[in-house]
Amino acid sequence: MDGNANLLEASVRLPLDAVELDVSIDTVSTAVAIVGPSGAGKSTLLRILAGVERRAQGTVRFRGETWQDSEKGVWMPPWKRGVGWVPQDELLFPHLSVSENLGYAGASDAAIDEMARLLSVDHLSSRRPRYLSGGERQRVALGRALLASPRILLLDEPFSALDRVLRREVVEKVSSLARDRSIPLVLVSHDETDAELMADERWILNGGVLTKEAAGR
Amino acid sequence: MINALGLFLLLLTPRVAGPVNGPLHPVRAEVQDPEPLLVLAASSLQDVLPTVANAWREAGGGNVRFSFDATSRLAPQILRGAPADVFISADHEWMNWLREQDVVVASEIVNVAANRLVFVVPASADAPPRDLRALGARPTMRIAMAGENVPAGRYGTAALQAAGLWDVLEGRVVRGGSVRGTLEWVARGEVDGGVVYETDALAEPRVRLAFAFDENTYPPVVYPGAVIGRSERPAAARAFLDFMAGAEGAALFGAAGFQVGPPDFSVSNVTTATLPNPVSAVRLSFLVALAAVALGLVPAIGAGWLLARRDFPGRGLLSTVLLAPLVIPPVVTGFLLLSILGAQSPIGRALAAVGLSVPFTLLGATLAALVVGFPLYVVAVRGAFEVVDPHLEELSWTLGIPPRQTFLRVSLPLALPGIAAGALLAFARALGEFGATVVLAGNVEGQTRTIALAVYALLESPSGRGAIWVLVGASVVLSLAALMGFEALTRRQRRLLEDRRGR
Repeated sequence: MDGNANLLEASVRLPLDAVELDVSIDTVSTAVAIVGPSGAGKSTLLRILAGVERRAQGTVRFRGETWQDSEKGVWMPPWKRGVGWVPQDELLFPHLSVSENLGYAGASDAAIDEMARLLSVDHLSSRRPRYLSGGERQRVALGRALLASPRILLLDEPFSALDRVLRREVVEKVSSLARDRSIPLVLVSHDETDAELMADERWILNGGVLTKEAAGR
Repeated sequence: MINALGLFLLLLTPRVAGPVNGPLHPVRAEVQDPEPLLVLAASSLQDVLPTVANAWREAGGGNVRFSFDATSRLAPQILRGAPADVFISADHEWMNWLREQDVVVASEIVNVAANRLVFVVPASADAPPRDLRALGARPTMRIAMAGENVPAGRYGTAALQAAGLWDVLEGRVVRGGSVRGTLEWVARGEVDGGVVYETDALAEPRVRLAFAFDENTYPPVVYPGAVIGRSERPAAARAFLDFMAGAEGAALFGAAGFQVGPPDFSVSNVTTATLPNPVSAVRLSFLVALAAVALGLVPAIGAGWLLARRDFPGRGLLSTVLLAPLVIPPVVTGFLLLSILGAQSPIGRALAAVGLSVPFTLLGATLAALVVGFPLYVVAVRGAFEVVDPHLEELSWTLGIPPRQTFLRVSLPLALPGIAAGALLAFARALGEFGATVVLAGNVEGQTRTIALAVYALLESPSGRGAIWVLVGASVVLSLAALMGFEALTRRQRRLLEDRRGR
């Protein structure tokens, strides 16, 4: 892996949805926030990066590694990309308990317990998702993504259901976990606070083009 | 109450309108006769009677129209008020039954013709058995016979019993519906031989007469005819009967291979038919339905998932073909299956080579139930997969779990209650299967005689009307229980998929 290559490059279009994205994040920063008006394609961008939007045509590169090149017929399936994707509506597996959700990708019991403690969901481990609050669900989804040992975290509005106090706490925990493990993090949010709290850089997605806005902190 | 049920069941079949909807062979009128005689006659007479009627008309007798069916179906229709003038039965018993119900008068019954029981083989058979003893010495021969409540079926049993061969041959006997059905099976080579009337053997070029049974070993095969008591034209009806039994009629019957009947109708009691065993029928229905559901599980999951999740060329075609048995008459489905899997088809031969025989076996009954129930199975399974959020599968992929494992860990468990509901629905449908089963698998006691077929056999027997209730009760209870289970499982899947309250 070439550490100097751009973190992410994507030049893709989705003809059906009339979405065209030209994205290049030329940094090795650990945390990037992408903001922009709704409908700009923020969530779609994350889906394309995660490899679950198969209708997208174009190229996607991560640190010099080609994930997709439609012209050359290259497409790396999502299960090989190593992305920790937390979609907007969390999507916990409804038939699995909290600890089964956390350990879905195959983490050890000790790692699951530690993560549950860290995210303050350890008292819920045997509960099913339908008995969780929105904030609890978001924390389980974040923990599940982190426990899959991702090479990059893709977070889509991950803190929207958390109250202010809890939000600060969870943001700090997730940020430090990602930093400790050197996992770059791309956060999509319409909330200025999230972006400010978590990210080193802020990028704006508008009209299909991503531009760096300002240096963080 | 029993009569009410019988009437209800008859109302469900198009045959209640018998003379109108039945297989009519009207004789065209040259002089418009406003009311031709309506004659209900045993199906083995359908080749000869129109000829007799022509001669009768030429002799100035007027027009006649016919409705041919198995005697066992015609007699109950007459009791229920079919507006017929003349009834010609294929045996004593049913005529006696009508006499006991005061529908016909004993003194008005005459024998119009007689027949002989013969053993036929497919025309292509090499070295057919020359006599009964040779038949007994061939342990692998499969023999077709009419149902045990159909006269030909009873006579055949009697003849084999008299020869002391029944115990040896019983296991190899396949019961068809009518004599014509039996003949068709022999002609198609689905069986190695069959017991039919001599006239049937002569009328069918695809079969060969092997030997005739000794006439002393079975009750005389006579065709008693009678004027029906409520006929509005008893004189014309009587005249037609006399014409048939007279010299001219006898000559025409003789030319068609019939014998001249003994002059008098004897009020004798012939062997009572064996009734289907209700316990065996319920057990068999369960077994067949369970086997069909088990056999169909993996295909239903595969097809249901494909239709729910994949877009591919031919998807519409696949869906249409799989759902077709829902709208094709089951009898037609059964016929197609028999053509594809029968003993004479390439697939049937290949199956036979590995020791699997489909027609007239438990396997055949299972396949018929499966094919007819499969559309419901697939539709339910497809629905079960469709309600699983595809984003959950995508999420599983991004967590490093490839599609096949994702299917086993996410899609399948979430769809499972819906799949079970589909299995129950298919089970319920399999329990009630009749049309395809009777064509592909026949009506073999202990082998393919499920609840529906047992009810059908009982309906054809004058003494079987009471036992029907046991089976009707079992059938209704089982079917309703299966449907309730379907509802409960469908609700259960909806609850399983709820990932947050109130969603």
